[in-house]
Amino acid sequence: MKGAVVRLLLLMGLLAIISRAQVLRADSGTPVTLAAGALLLCGLFAGKVAKGLGLPRLTGYLLVGVAVGPYMLGFIPGEGVKGLDLVKGLAVSLIALVAGTELRLGLIRRVGARVALLCAAVCGVTFIVCFGATVALKPLLPFLAPLTLPQVLAVSALLSTVVVSFSPTVTIAIVQETSARGSFTEFLMALVIIGDLFVMVAFALAAGLTRATFGGGLDVAGLLSGVGWELFGSVAVGGLLAVVMLVYMRGVKQELPLFLVGLSFAAAEGGTRLHLSPLLVSLAAGALIANLDEREGERIHHAIQRAGLPVFALFFAAAGAGLKLDALVTVGPAALLLVVLRGGAIWFSCRRFAPSDDPRLKNYLWMGLISQAGVTFGLAALVSRTFPSFGPQVEVLIVAMITAHELVGPVLTRRALTASGEVRTDEAQGTA
Amino acid sequence: MQALLVFLAIAALSLLASSPALDPARFPALARLAAGGFLFLLFGVVLGPSVVGVLSVEDLYLLRPAMALGLGTAGVILGLNLEPRLLRLLPRPVYSAALAHAGTAFLFVAVPLFVPLLLTSRPSWHAAVGAASLLGAAASLSSGHFAVLAYRGGRMDRARGLGVALLTMLDDAVGLVVLALALLLGAAPTAGEGLGLVCLAVLLGILCGALLAFLTHALKDPAELTTVTLGMVALVGGAAAYLRVSALLAGVACGATLALVGGRTTERVARALGRVERPVFLVLVFLVGCGVYTRDWAAWALVPGFVGLRFLGKVVGGTLAQRFARGVLELPPRVGYALIAQGGLALCLVAEYQLLVPGGLSRRVLDVVVVGAVVNELLAGQAFRQVTTPSARVQPVPPPDVGVAT
Repeated sequence: MKGAVVRLLLLMGLLAIISRAQVLRADSGTPVTLAAGALLLCGLFAGKVAKGLGLPRLTGYLLVGVAVGPYMLGFIPGEGVKGLDLVKGLAVSLIALVAGTELRLGLIRRVGARVALLCAAVCGVTFIVCFGATVALKPLLPFLAPLTLPQVLAVSALLSTVVVSFSPTVTIAIVQETSARGSFTEFLMALVIIGDLFVMVAFALAAGLTRATFGGGLDVAGLLSGVGWELFGSVAVGGLLAVVMLVYMRGVKQELPLFLVGLSFAAAEGGTRLHLSPLLVSLAAGALIANLDEREGERIHHAIQRAGLPVFALFFAAAGAGLKLDALVTVGPAALLLVVLRGGAIWFSCRRFAPSDDPRLKNYLWMGLISQAGVTFGLAALVSRTFPSFGPQVEVLIVAMITAHELVGPVLTRRALTASGEVRTDEAQGTA
Repeated sequence: MQALLVFLAIAALSLLASSPALDPARFPALARLAAGGFLFLLFGVVLGPSVVGVLSVEDLYLLRPAMALGLGTAGVILGLNLEPRLLRLLPRPVYSAALAHAGTAFLFVAVPLFVPLLLTSRPSWHAAVGAASLLGAAASLSSGHFAVLAYRGGRMDRARGLGVALLTMLDDAVGLVVLALALLLGAAPTAGEGLGLVCLAVLLGILCGALLAFLTHALKDPAELTTVTLGMVALVGGAAAYLRVSALLAGVACGATLALVGGRTTERVARALGRVERPVFLVLVFLVGCGVYTRDWAAWALVPGFVGLRFLGKVVGGTLAQRFARGVLELPPRVGYALIAQGGLALCLVAEYQLLVPGGLSRRVLDVVVVGAVVNELLAGQAFRQVTTPSARVQPVPPPDVGVAT
């Protein structure tokens, strides 16, 4: 670990020199490639340091991103971090593709109904708690203060929907890192994925209601078709991708990691442009391949593991660098309250509603549901864009919550997997 | 979205390049262009803002990070080849020979074309000297891939093939020195400031190279080694782009430093970089092609002069090189004809120049060199036949595990 610390410090020293040198130049060029290289390198060695401290590598990626990012040491300009959105999309697609290969029909038959019921309970309880708290916090939240009661209710519902969301990316990355396998891990992964489907539908409905209360009219047909397109369109496009992948894997048999990265990149960018969910597109593709041809599903799994290290390190370090620490100061107390309430609601609903045949679910499952990352970021940005009058302030509040969840969530997820006894190795070779 | 377009374009072209439609037996010229990456260059010209316009000028601006990565990667690979210990072992006549062929081509192109450049665009004297130097530098560069392919295919004696490859490797240094001089003259208001920027680029590269050697020293896992290598290449190219200094020069300094102090790690890093060399190079030449402004008639008028003078310069320079290297380096007869192919570094030089010295003149230089490089690649196949004779057939050599993308 000492070596990794020295290397990390040297890297940060080099970044400090570069940012000093930039001050001497009158104009500056594009910082995106610099951000990519710096976050990749710092992420990798910070991951090693975190591992040495007994933390998930992912926590190291996130923390070093925060440290060198624009809101702390400022070695990497904000413009550079923003330019890495493309990489973030790619990482989400790759992670979802791996997760999809885990969704075998047998697993869905075995735990699908129980997972869906528990997911509905967890999401429902958390939503009610956060909704009640947001309405009660109206005097303290500046964006709610000038609104009418129906508007307050609608905006609170919208905010609470986003707050409920989980992080399949973090969960899958930690599962990859620890090589965890077993019924508890399957249950957790299925729950965070299904939870995100719930959130997607609920978000679309809440956004429609909010638009109606602000005078935009309630377009039920448009609302349903939008949700339908996002869900079923994503699955259909995912199916198409799966066919393309299977044809390639059976016909070409070469450069699979490169091909998968390229296709995931296209899925991420194309999905966003077509108003589809890139997560769902890749998830469907992975699930279809795994169920049609188990051997090819395994190949995808291994290929992404090989390409995964740089992608995951860059993705999570960039996510860390994008965390607006100043948001913690402005909306900190309210965000902290919501974080605590959300955590409490998840803990309670897991203790109360988790299947009793496996005591591990009652005791540890809640820890795996705390993380929030890419999906929540995306929804927060969508709120900001869709509702310019109050959206940016809601985004700040949500980002402050994500900051807290990102720092605590991976550690808790790893602890849950370790406590469940399903962690196979301390560190999987070449993974996140 | 722009990046997606570039990716799809590259993917489509990769499929096309590997399809039977480009069978070397049926379309040798087209297959050669595809193999050398020049088809991607032409595709970039067609899709760029001045022809079909699929990618706009703003899109190209947003794709500058990819350009910086490409230039940084090219620089590091070049620097790794310019291994100082190996270079010290070479006898002086080899350097004289390399300087003779590269210098002759440089003078044959730069001196005569300085006048039309000055007259057609009326820039400052400094800028015209810089632009003419860049044209000369691009002309001085040659690619050794024909010679390598010839000795691998048994059409040329191995020693002669390697001799040509060595000459082309050394002329890279001439091109880079001229790029540094041109940037010194054009990239800043004063030559002193320009010198400072060039020094900053080299210093940045040295720091990154030394750090890369240290970071990779104890790494055993291949995935981690690849990640660190890619990260450092992005860092050196990105930092140079951010500081608005030459990513190519910084990359070369980084690669050369690693070659000097890296020990056994150097080979592993080179192997890791070799895996991404081809895709990065193809994206780079595609973007260079997008930057071509096809409606600059003055540039079109300069192309025949550039190609013709370079051809002459290479033939004369080749004769001189043969004379200098006699008894030390085995070269084929009429070696100048083996040096007509221009290679990818010329494109990197002009792309870098255009990034750091924006303006009409640098764009004109880019236009001339891009079109000239394609023409030279087409001419090179015919010219190389003058070097290989049927009687000179030798045993084919099994291909070593190296690529010749640039």
